[in-house]
Order: sequence, then structure tokens, then C-alpha cells
Amino acid sequence: MSRFIATSAIRGAHSVVKQAEDMFKDALEKLGPDVPINFADKEGVGTTYYLPVIYGYSGHKVEKLGDLTWPLEHAKSLLAPIPSENLWLPYLGETADAGVATLFAEEIIEGIRFAKGEQPEVRNGYKFNGPISDVQTRSWGIQMVDGSMPGFAAVIGAAKSNEVAVKIVRELQSKGQLVFLSSMSNGRSIVDQLLEEGVDLGYHTFTVPFGTDTISVVYAAGYASRATFSFGNIKPGNWREMLLYNKFRCFAFALCLGPMDDLKWATGAGAITYGFPAICDTVVPNILPTGITKYEHVVSMPFDDIPGRDDLERAERLVQRCIEVRGIKIKIPSVPIPVAYGPAFEGEVVRRADLRCEFGGKGGTCFEWLTMKDMDEVEDGKIEVIGPELDAFEVGARIPLGIVVEVAGRKMVKDFEPVLERQIHHFVNGAEGIQHVGQRDITWIRLSKSAVDRGFRIKHLGDILHTNLHNDFGAIVDKVQITFYTELDKVEKLREKARGVYRERNERIAGLTDEAVDTYYSCTLCQSFAPNHVCIINPERTGLCGAYSWLDCRAAFEIKPTGPNQPVPKGRCIDPVKGEWEGVNNFVYDHSNRNVERFTIYSLMDSPMTTCGCCECVMIIIPEANGVMIVNRDDYSVTPCGMTFTTLMGTVGGGLQSPGMMGHAKLYITSKKFIPVEGGIKRVVWLSKNVKEEFAEELREACEREGVPDLMDKIADATIATTVDELLPFLEEKGHPALTMEPLM
Amino acid sequence: MPTVEVPIEKWTGKIHEVRLGGNSRKSVVVGGETSLPFLHFEGSLPHRPLIAIEVQDSEPRGWSPHLVAAWGDVLHDPGAWAKKAVEFGADIIALRLRSAHPEEGNTGAKEAKRATDKVLSAVDLPVIILGPEVAEKDNEVLVAASEVARGQRVALGNCLEKNHRTIAAACIADGHVAIAKTPIEINLAKQLNILLCDVGLSPDSILMDPTTGALGYGLEYTFSVMERLRLSALGGDAMTAMPMICTVGEESWRQKESKVSEGVPPSWGAHEERAIIWEEITASMLLNAGADIVVLRHPKTAALVKATIDKLMGS
Repeated sequence: MSRFIATSAIRGAHSVVKQAEDMFKDALEKLGPDVPINFADKEGVGTTYYLPVIYGYSGHKVEKLGDLTWPLEHAKSLLAPIPSENLWLPYLGETADAGVATLFAEEIIEGIRFAKGEQPEVRNGYKFNGPISDVQTRSWGIQMVDGSMPGFAAVIGAAKSNEVAVKIVRELQSKGQLVFLSSMSNGRSIVDQLLEEGVDLGYHTFTVPFGTDTISVVYAAGYASRATFSFGNIKPGNWREMLLYNKFRCFAFALCLGPMDDLKWATGAGAITYGFPAICDTVVPNILPTGITKYEHVVSMPFDDIPGRDDLERAERLVQRCIEVRGIKIKIPSVPIPVAYGPAFEGEVVRRADLRCEFGGKGGTCFEWLTMKDMDEVEDGKIEVIGPELDAFEVGARIPLGIVVEVAGRKMVKDFEPVLERQIHHFVNGAEGIQHVGQRDITWIRLSKSAVDRGFRIKHLGDILHTNLHNDFGAIVDKVQITFYTELDKVEKLREKARGVYRERNERIAGLTDEAVDTYYSCTLCQSFAPNHVCIINPERTGLCGAYSWLDCRAAFEIKPTGPNQPVPKGRCIDPVKGEWEGVNNFVYDHSNRNVERFTIYSLMDSPMTTCGCCECVMIIIPEANGVMIVNRDDYSVTPCGMTFTTLMGTVGGGLQSPGMMGHAKLYITSKKFIPVEGGIKRVVWLSKNVKEEFAEELREACEREGVPDLMDKIADATIATTVDELLPFLEEKGHPALTMEPLM
Repeated sequence: MPTVEVPIEKWTGKIHEVRLGGNSRKSVVVGGETSLPFLHFEGSLPHRPLIAIEVQDSEPRGWSPHLVAAWGDVLHDPGAWAKKAVEFGADIIALRLRSAHPEEGNTGAKEAKRATDKVLSAVDLPVIILGPEVAEKDNEVLVAASEVARGQRVALGNCLEKNHRTIAAACIADGHVAIAKTPIEINLAKQLNILLCDVGLSPDSILMDPTTGALGYGLEYTFSVMERLRLSALGGDAMTAMPMICTVGEESWRQKESKVSEGVPPSWGAHEERAIIWEEITASMLLNAGADIVVLRHPKTAALVKATIDKLMGS
């Protein structure tokens, strides 16, 4: 907490509470305790929530002047002494209390002004709105809950110039923010500035002028309080819930234009209790740690120091910063490209005859690389093509292309880079007349003549990525910037850099072990047809369908916290060898409709994982061979256990636990955690030929790692054996290690 | 005869009780089951399943002549239609704001308010208000209807994942119940319930519409998903324990067997009878899968299904 701000705020609170007390005494004398107090807007439409900040914080109903006694006493009781010169400790608690005292005092003052008929304010013949009516709160509240209007911006003071004032308001409106206007700086108010520029203010334009003093800012807090009563089911007086609701659901902030004074700081402290941060366009101390607000509390962004060509660009950046500080997510309604976009075009193929140009493919150079940057290193929406656009190339040309996507986000982590990068394929394919194949440095993109004729250019690939990354991954991505390179030397140079990253990622995945994490992830996607099945996905075993790795699940959870991939804390370890944890058992029990009580991750024989029906492979023991056989979904042959994949699937699927049988992904065979209890890959006596071929390299490495480099030659497949009688002589002949291993049963 | 001991399943879960109506309006409660449908020996079934009769805000286009004949000239007036539905034994009136559909009039908030007000003032039964099933229009007309019906605890639908926040906000603000509709899928159904609760709607203010497939047109899918949802709920999952509503009339009257009167084999029987049976069988099957409210179209079906419910409830 800044000492400067704390001192100012507490000083400001003392002063405004004193002002409220003086006004109250005077009004009591002149008007008597029974004069009614009703908040209403300039049309006379009021609220049924009394003085809403006081009501929300305490449940105390103010209906007449005399009812102000308690709130005033309460405000006084919240005032701590003004910190002395040589007190250096933080004053967070006292400052927050001072903020609440300030809001109380401000509402008391406005209440008295209403009783005297002095509100809403009239100045130079212009009638301000005053507090927002309940009717309007309801209508805006629905938009706030459904996210079409994320929150409000309380603009306090006056902008550098009229032009800047208008720009700021327009920018805020374009982000869907309601704009509340109040207070003054150096004798000017933003309301004056906007009116001079002929800006239409009012409910219908989502701009509400409260008044020209800082006290009227309290109407914003009153609006926030009432929204929680109507939409949060929160009972007035339940202050904690009211504040938390606003912190997490109402994306509001204060934008302070011009010099700050004690009362502005004190009011700001009150706003912070609601979780609303303040962004100031002057030099003030920053309060950056997260705490009462979701992110920063106070951010200083001196207007003239903001980078930008002119004041208008500076105003735009200022608003952009506000959006970031409050954590507001932007949704883009549709992909802004000149061709149609949607899932219907995903399977589309661009044939040679229709080809306008291509990137990558045979003999070409194309890569895509998504990388994470710091928030201030990425300019959201910036799309740049370095080198010639495709118009410079003849029909059918193979153009070198480097796609560098830079993203930043508060919840973004390095591990999500490959998860997002893999989406590029799916995103780009959605465009009509564009075909995308491959990934990383084997990317191959084709653009059709008709797409290019309709105006599609390289830069539009950027629009596709920008829009979709925001819309689908807004939970982890706040800013996206895309750069395309079309000059061969640059592309090759960057491709080398990207290849280094791909290698690092591969190593990272290889080094990601079960021991290195304390949380696994669940997948209950298949409960639609296998209601008792739960997948537990650990770093060293991907989901049995082969589609979900631990990293995918982790990202999926961040993106959709209510979705089918939930974190499963491992909890106390029951058996490190079999891989049994208390947390996993509890989760599986609860989510399998209380059907599966125990669950070991590393054992095939003791309480193995269940299968939904989507597994790539089924593993089953062959007791005669003292080993296991693995058959893949694409292998239609009869197997030595006497059953085909389909028959086996019928036995093992549906969420049943069947010791000695298990469904799993192809990739699992190469994992270090492949049935370690039973002896790992050395137990495999039969494996579908297509898997042997598809994963030849990986399997060879796994065998070497396990000290049996020639194992693959000793493992049978359907071309060698389809019965146990055929299998055993083969194993004997080859000297398969399983034959001499410890008995499985 | 040897005595056979009936095995009793011990369930831990209970379906949420959802109240509709109230204040000056008649009130009904659905849900509360602690056992599978109609297994009285196994658990408690405190509230009988209810029949909602569908009323539309404008004269329906393309309805079967048998439906038109059964209702007569009330079809152009939702208030009169609702009154007649009461005479035919409706427990609930389901008002479909069909004219708001972009292709069927594209009417807006004003018309929605007027139609809602007409029905609310014509009858004192609890009311369900359904939008045209185009998310954007649903938001527009349901938010408007919600305001008119404030405090009368109507059910508003459909609330899809796409627009759930808007409908939930209206329900919270005006004290209504949301009808959470998902496309025949247990995970999506559960997820939408979680999302709604996350917005701040309480579990006793949600009905689930698992999407109805009529007899011969996906009935078995709906049946399975409803059964799964109910098993999961009774097994203790509070996020699948919402009472279920099925739009039976709309689905079964859309099908060929209910529509075609000529050029079909004689063994199909008389058109009207066949169409009513189609609706009746769809309804009674889904009641057996756990439906708590069935929305019907033909008055005769309403009577038949009511008799079935009477028998199944042992009353």
C-alpha cells in the first residue's frame, strides 16, 4: 500500500465525514428528522433500495433524514487517525475502512441534498442525471450478467482536451462499457467537455452524467450494489457477498483524469473495496499487487508519456490499459474476412486447377509458431505482413511463409503454447477456399483462386487467428498479434528459431513425469454413453482415446472450468508402486456414480482404469504366454485371445473394471509408465501390426530404454499368430523375455 | 405361490422441487422424486407429473386440420386459447411466442409483452413462456415477457448454452424458472445446469429440456438420456437433479405419421386417431423416462395422458 495514497485517502475521509456531519446537523435543525429521503434520477424515477451503498453494506434502511444518524456514526467509527509523518507500515485496512466511511458520508450528503431538493444537480441550465433508476438498473443489469456489457467505467475529472474526452468515451463505448461521468479537474468537468463537443449524453447512449463533484461518484457504487441485489440474489447487509460479486462479476473501474485530491483518493479507496481498480492519467504511486481487486489496484499512466502518434492514439491506449487492468475479455462477433467462415468448410480441398498460391508443401518453406510474450510486448489485433503480399506472386506460386503468433494473457503459461498452436490448423481450415495441412514446420496451406478473387490475402489468415484465439481461448489469452514473413531468407532464419522451440517442447513433454506434478486431470466427456466411466489422465499416460494429453486437459480446464476436464489432486499416496492415491480414488468414486471404489494407475491386474469405449487399443493378458497382447482399433484380425478388437471392446468397455484387461492409447505403449507393475513393455507378446509400423521409431526407443533393443522382433502380430498355439512356438523360438519373467497370475 | 421379494434400490439423491406460479396464481410443484418413475414401492414420488398445453401467440401456420378443428376459433387469441386449455384439463399453460421467429412475423418485445399479459390475465394457472428458438430473438422476447410476468414465477425457455446468461439474469431478476435445453446429451445438460448455477440461479429454479425426439424420430435417444440423467441424479449428483420437461406435442405433430392423411397404407388407420396416438405414446414413454412436465397439443391427448398418469400414480 502506498503511504502517500493511504494518507491522502484517510485525510479525505475525515474531511468528507465532517462535511456530512455538519450538513446533517444543519438539515436536522432546519428540516426536522421526518423529511423523506428518496434517491431518484432526473426524470424522478427512483429506487426501492433506499440509499443503496449504506443499505448494501449494512442492511440499514434510510427513508427519512433521522435515519441518517446511524450511518453517520458508523462512518465516524471507521475513521483511523491520519498516519503520522514517520509511520511507514502499510495502511491497507485503515485505508479500506476510510473508503467505506467516505462512501457512507457521500451518500449521506447526497441524501440530504435530495431532501433539500438540490439533486440531481443543475448547472448552467444543464440537468445532470443523478442516481440511476431501478428500471434502468434492471435493463442494464441483464446485459451485464449476459456479458454484452461487461461493466462500467467511472470517469472522474476532465481529460487533457475536449478531443481526448470524446475519444476516451467513444473507446469505452466500443468496448461495451457503460460510462459514468462525474467530478472535475482544474475547474473543468468531462461533462462540460462532452457537451461542448455536442455529445449526446443519457441512458440511451450509455453515458450517465452524475454531477460535477466527486461526491456524486457514489452513485456508481450505488448502482453496483443494486445490481447485486437484483442479479446476485444477495441480501442487503451481506456486504462480503456484495463486494465479492462485484469483484468477480462486474467489470468496473475508475478512470481518473487530471490531478488527484484527497477526496478522489478517499472515494477511490471506497471503489477498491468493490474490487474496482483505478487508472490515473497523471503521475501517482502505483499499487500493483493483487489483493482486494482482481489485478492491480492503482495504475498510473501519465497521459503525455503514453506512446502514440497523437493524443487520440494515447487515449486509445489509455482505455486499452483500463480494459487489461480490469481483466475484461473482448468477444469478436464474426471473423472479418472476405470469404465465408464456418465448420462446413473444414474438410475442403483446394485442387491444383483451383490453386491461386500455396505455402509449404513439397519443396516449400512454411512454418507456424505460437509464442507467449509479456502483456506489454503484444499489441492486440496487430497483423503485419513483412515482405510482399501474394499479389506479387504469379498464379500457382509456392510462396515461403512464416507465421509467428504472439499471445499474452494473465492466465497464459508456456505449456499452453503447443495447445494453442495446434488450433491453427482447425482455425484456418474454417475459411472457404483455404486448405491447411500439417503443423509446425511441415505446415502446408493452399489458397484457392476464388478466395483470392474475393479479396482474401495473407493478412486475413491473421484475422482468422486473432478472432478465434480470442473467442475460443479468451480465458487464457488477452492479446494476440500476428506477423507473417514472405521473404525466404527471413522465413528460413525464423524457422531455425522455431525449430529450436519445437525441440525444447518435445524435451519438456518427455521430461513431464507423473512425479513432477501434484494434480492429474479427469475426463468425463464420455459419460454420455458410459455413465460410470472416468478417465484419469496423468502426464505419462494420455487419455485412452489418444486425444487428450495431460497438458490438453489442463488447458481445457482453464478455458472451461465447468467442463469435463477437472483437476484431480493426487492427495495422499497409498501405493507408489501400483500408483494409487487417495485423491484419485475419491474423485473416481464420486464421479463414477459410486461404482468404482479403487483405481490404480500403474497396474493392469489390480483395479485398473476403466474404459468408456473410445480406447485406441485393448490390452489383455495371455496367461499361457505369461504376457499381454495389444490390439488396435484399426486391426480387424482375430487375436491369440480368441477375440477381435470389437469383441474385446464389448467386454472391457462401458466403465467396468476388469483386471487383466484395459483400454489405452497407442502412445501409452511407449511411456515409461507402461504397466510398470507387470514389467513394462517386456510383457508385450503380441501387438497389432499397424501400431508396430506407425510407432516404429518410438517403440524402438522405448525398447532400448528398457534394455531390450531387439524386443520388437520378438513380438508377434496377426501375420505371425492368431491363436495361442501359433503364438507360443514363436515366442519360444525368439526367446521372448516374458516367458522367463515372474508369473503374471 | 412362492413370495417374491422385490429388490429395493437405495438411492441417495433427490430431484429438486421446482415451484411454478404462486402469489395470486395457482401454484404447482414438480420434482422431489427419490426413485425412478412410478416405482412407488422404492421411494417417494411426492408430485405427479403435469400436463402443459401449448398455446401460441399468433394463429399457428401449417397445423394439422385435426388440431385446428379441435381448438376452433380460439387459435387466433392466446387468451381465449389458454382459457379453453384450462377446460381441457391443462395443469400449466405453455405459451409459445412463435410470431417472434424471423420467418414467422419477426415480432418483438412489445408483442411478446402483450401476448404474455393476455395469457396471464386470462387464466390463473402457472405459465411457461417459450421463445421462437432463435437465440437472439429468444433473448429479446423472453426478457420482455419476464418483466411482464415478474413475481408470478413462470418458466422461461429455451435457455441454451449460447444465451444462458441472459435468460438466467432475467429469471434471477424477476423470480422465474429457466428451462435449460441441451441437444440430447448428458454432459451438456449437466454443464448447462452448472453454468446456470454459476450465474447465480438456484438449482430449484431450473427445469431441464433434454430435447424431445418423437416416436420413431429419436424417442429412444431422449429416453436413454433422460434415464441416464435421472440415474445420475438419484445416485447423488445434484447438478443433474433438475425436473425434466418434454415438448411432446410440437415434436410428434411434426412427423409424417401425424401429418399425412392420403396415400398411406390402410393399416396406418384413421389420420386423427393415429396422430393422437403418436402424441400419446411419445408422452407416456417419456413420463416413464422421468418427465415431470409434458407439453401437449391435442385436447384428447391431454385427457388420455392424464388418465395414464392417474393410473401410474395410483390415484
